[in-house]
Amino acid sequence: MENKYQYLTFLGLTFNVANCLSIILTALVVFFLVFFLSRKITMRPGKRQNVLEYLIDFSNGIVKSIMPGDEGKPFYFYIFVLFLFLLVSNILGLFLEIKVNGFTYTKSPTADPMVTMPLALMSLVLSHYYGAEKYGFKGYLSNFARPVGFMLPMNLIEEFTNFLTLSLRLYGNIFAGEVLIGLLVMMTQGAGLSGVFGSIAAIPLMMVWQGFSVFIGAVQAYIFATLTCVYFSRKITRE
Amino acid sequence: MANGLVIAAKATIVNGSTGDSLILIIAFILLLILLKHFAWKPVVKMMDDRQKKISDDLDGAADSRAKAEAMAAKRQAELKNSKAEAIQIVNTAKTNGEKRRDQIVSDAQTEASQVKDKAHADADQVRTEALNSARAEVGQIAIDIAESLIKKDLDTQDQQNLIDAYIKGLTNADETK
Repeated sequence: MENKYQYLTFLGLTFNVANCLSIILTALVVFFLVFFLSRKITMRPGKRQNVLEYLIDFSNGIVKSIMPGDEGKPFYFYIFVLFLFLLVSNILGLFLEIKVNGFTYTKSPTADPMVTMPLALMSLVLSHYYGAEKYGFKGYLSNFARPVGFMLPMNLIEEFTNFLTLSLRLYGNIFAGEVLIGLLVMMTQGAGLSGVFGSIAAIPLMMVWQGFSVFIGAVQAYIFATLTCVYFSRKITRE
Repeated sequence: MANGLVIAAKATIVNGSTGDSLILIIAFILLLILLKHFAWKPVVKMMDDRQKKISDDLDGAADSRAKAEAMAAKRQAELKNSKAEAIQIVNTAKTNGEKRRDQIVSDAQTEASQVKDKAHADADQVRTEALNSARAEVGQIAIDIAESLIKKDLDTQDQQNLIDAYIKGLTNADETK
């Protein structure tokens, strides 16, 4: 793993150019994919509209599996975008890797904790927001002392562990996938195992691992969306 | 190689670029806004519309089915009614026809009997008249014969009487005329 990244510093913040480009690329891919699919919306759906409606039904299904009924309706859209964004960003690094002068410019943005953390943060902040909206600020605060008062420290710790597990699970899975792909690429270049044999052996391995990584990326996107729903539902329901 | 992994992981965390988080949040919120405006709202609206339309159509179909069934039942009832009515009409026509036939026959019979009676009466009258006229003629003939017989035997006196009587008869006849 010899990925080198270019860093920019602006207003005291450090920007990893590869991450920024990948995030923007992912956002563009998701936007234009959905934009392209959502042209010509008709009562009798065409092919594109069917695909889009299938995606929407799928993400709605994630919410419905946690929150059946109308209480899940405000989250449909957020979960839809979150799922698509994660799916594309998890898979992006598998087929697109641009290196210029030894610097990597695109990769899976979710292979960086600095990207998965704000995603988890957004989900959790939203869950707190909806909790406060439903029960009022007092009710929201009192929910930390439920079901019994001495659970308060446990509930507070849980908020942090939720945040960490949600972000680091995604980061770990995708990062591991990228690392292994990088290793396999190195093998095909003959840098790992011995020469020609290594290259030949690495090609099927790489194909298998890439396929598996697509699977992992999809599963992780699904898990992230599902857990976000779980956190939402916990905040808007009382045991 | 394992060493390299650890180093890479360390590098990613230690060199954690906080700017990426900012970029991600901005990009994600922009994505949310744009997708909501361009894709989500129209598609979800259409999906809801379609759902509404389908349920409306199903309701409408049930309604029209019920209506059609009611209509069919009504038709059936009407058909039965009209059959009964037709039978009734035919029966009425039959009875009417029979009545009429009977009437015509009886009329014809009465008329025939009247004609017959009249004919009888006429015949009787003609016979009576004929008898009467024959009687009168026979009387006349008898008188004439008697006259012609009597002319030879009558004396003048008698003849005178006869002539008087005859003249008297003539005058009477004249008077009556």
